[in-house]
Amino acid sequence: MPLKWVLQWQPNAGTTVNSQILNEVSQCVETINGVKEGRWKATLTFYKPMIREQAVPTDYPRDFLGISLPEQPNKYYFIIRGQRIVLEADSSIQTIMEKLQSYKSRVALIFEGFQYQLGDFQLRVGKVVPSHSENLRGIVMEVEYLPISSLDKSRQIMEEFLDIWQEAVSKRSLPGHFTHIEPNFAEYGLSDHYSSQHTAVQYATVMAQLIASVQTVQSVRN
Amino acid sequence: MQQQQSQAVAIPNERQPETGGSGGSMAEAPPKQVALAMDRLAQAARLIADIRLGADRLLEALFVSAQPHQSNKPLHLFMKEDTSIRQHLQDLRSIGRQLEDSGVLNESLRLRSNSWGLHMPLVCPDGAVVAYAWKRQLAGQAGASAVDRTRLALKAFTDQKRRFFPHLDDGLCGQTTGTEPILKKHCGSQLSIVSQQEELSDCTTLSEVLRRLEKEVPNIKISTYQRLDWLKRASLLPSSANENSNESSKEHNFHSSNKIRPGPMCAVAADKVAIIELLSSSVFRVIVSLHPAGSIDPDAVAFFSPDEGGSYVHARGLSVYHVFRHITEHATMALQYFIGIRSEKALYFLLRWICSYQTLFTTVCSKCKRLLSMDRQSASLLPPVHRPYQQFSAIKISTQPISSSNDQSLNITRAYHVGCFSEEV
Repeated sequence: MPLKWVLQWQPNAGTTVNSQILNEVSQCVETINGVKEGRWKATLTFYKPMIREQAVPTDYPRDFLGISLPEQPNKYYFIIRGQRIVLEADSSIQTIMEKLQSYKSRVALIFEGFQYQLGDFQLRVGKVVPSHSENLRGIVMEVEYLPISSLDKSRQIMEEFLDIWQEAVSKRSLPGHFTHIEPNFAEYGLSDHYSSQHTAVQYATVMAQLIASVQTVQSVRN
Repeated sequence: MQQQQSQAVAIPNERQPETGGSGGSMAEAPPKQVALAMDRLAQAARLIADIRLGADRLLEALFVSAQPHQSNKPLHLFMKEDTSIRQHLQDLRSIGRQLEDSGVLNESLRLRSNSWGLHMPLVCPDGAVVAYAWKRQLAGQAGASAVDRTRLALKAFTDQKRRFFPHLDDGLCGQTTGTEPILKKHCGSQLSIVSQQEELSDCTTLSEVLRRLEKEVPNIKISTYQRLDWLKRASLLPSSANENSNESSKEHNFHSSNKIRPGPMCAVAADKVAIIELLSSSVFRVIVSLHPAGSIDPDAVAFFSPDEGGSYVHARGLSVYHVFRHITEHATMALQYFIGIRSEKALYFLLRWICSYQTLFTTVCSKCKRLLSMDRQSASLLPPVHRPYQQFSAIKISTQPISSSNDQSLNITRAYHVGCFSEEV
């Protein structure tokens, strides 16, 4: 499947994201000839274990994430970052989990926004909001290059695209920039051939970054 | 007048043996039969006219003899007319028999199948001649022009065959086989171009070309197919939309490739190969079509993403991705160029030129030194899709295996964006 990079918005120190930035970014896509196609939405859920007896808490993974992706409506992805585990399951696993009552959903985040076509590139710009509020927590962007599936072969192309994109965004003098962190896919047992599991891992990494940056802001405030 | 009459009598007499011996006219071709029948009808008409004239003279003679003061003259006239008319009637009878035999006076020939659509002239009971002369005339004309046209067409075809398919004349005129040993003699002291030529002159068959290519570009997978086999395989290629998960698609690939892919060229009969597939993993899948099957004459080429699948993946199909569409367009022009300059080496040059695209996503544009550039026309970002082919055949092509990383060091890979290319030219 075509490979993609998930970028996240890194606000400058001392600033936060707001919907104005999101609008500017969307306009930026259109200035580089992106054609708006439709909407997209992904959800990410933090699970916490339901400890019944006096079990040792450390046995249970702390950051157990579940992700549903728009391109795979019948699948659900689990990631345990600490142990570098990613798992693709059928979407019915969510009902199973509810029935088993071993893990409970703690926090759910929604990524949603618009999708753009730019020749052989497909871009998605989205806001990060908690499932039950409209508080903008972050901005993510997906850059997908459709003709290739290999991460290695596409690296140069994606880097150049990122340069072009950063250049376009910087013209708008926004308080922040997009960053891309490439997780070590090999540690998760994933190959060079791109798949939705790669996407799930990227989102998990993005979440970790988001949480870290939020905590940094909070600690700065404090 | 008598002499004329006797001549008129004599001539049908002379003609008669010819036409009399035409009892075997049934063995002749229909047009000739029609011609003969028309001739005979014309003769019959003349005889009838003569008989009428004779009858008039008889009446005149009787009239004169009824007049007083007549000598024997009318009697002579009467006698002469009598004989000539009898002769005419006899001629007419014989012609009538011939016409009857040839089916003019009845419908016997119509019942025969092999008449080429030409109908014998028919004399109806009331005397009307349904001659279909116009049909005969047209048929005759059509026949003549058809012969001419066929002759011209055969000549044109032979010329084209000699020009585009010279290897088919190998057995006949032995031209190519004659030059090979000559070239081989001049080995050492020649320029690299000639030495390349003499190596390439070994590549006169498809398997030789492919074998040489496999040595030179080992990291590109080359497969050959019969035309229908390829279409079947194309429909079964997993496309991005079909992939559900990594493992299941890998299994699918494994099973389908075991079932369908015939393997390298040895599995397909060399004279039936019509499709060559060049697969550079994760970069491209190129389909080249050969016409006729088993020859070394390419007639179409198309680039696709290696993830594309479906019945549109063939040598005249178009990829859904802009980058491969542009390359396909460019490749079609390159193909025509290679055929135009060295038609017998066209396939080899084309395949080598295609293989140079394995660095499609890593070679920067030779002009602007960047990888991606916005193409105004399709409003998309494209890597350099134009690779020059004009001097490709003249450049010494190394026979050492070329890996994608060594290509840069050879210093011949030049690539241009669509916009940069047109500015260069």
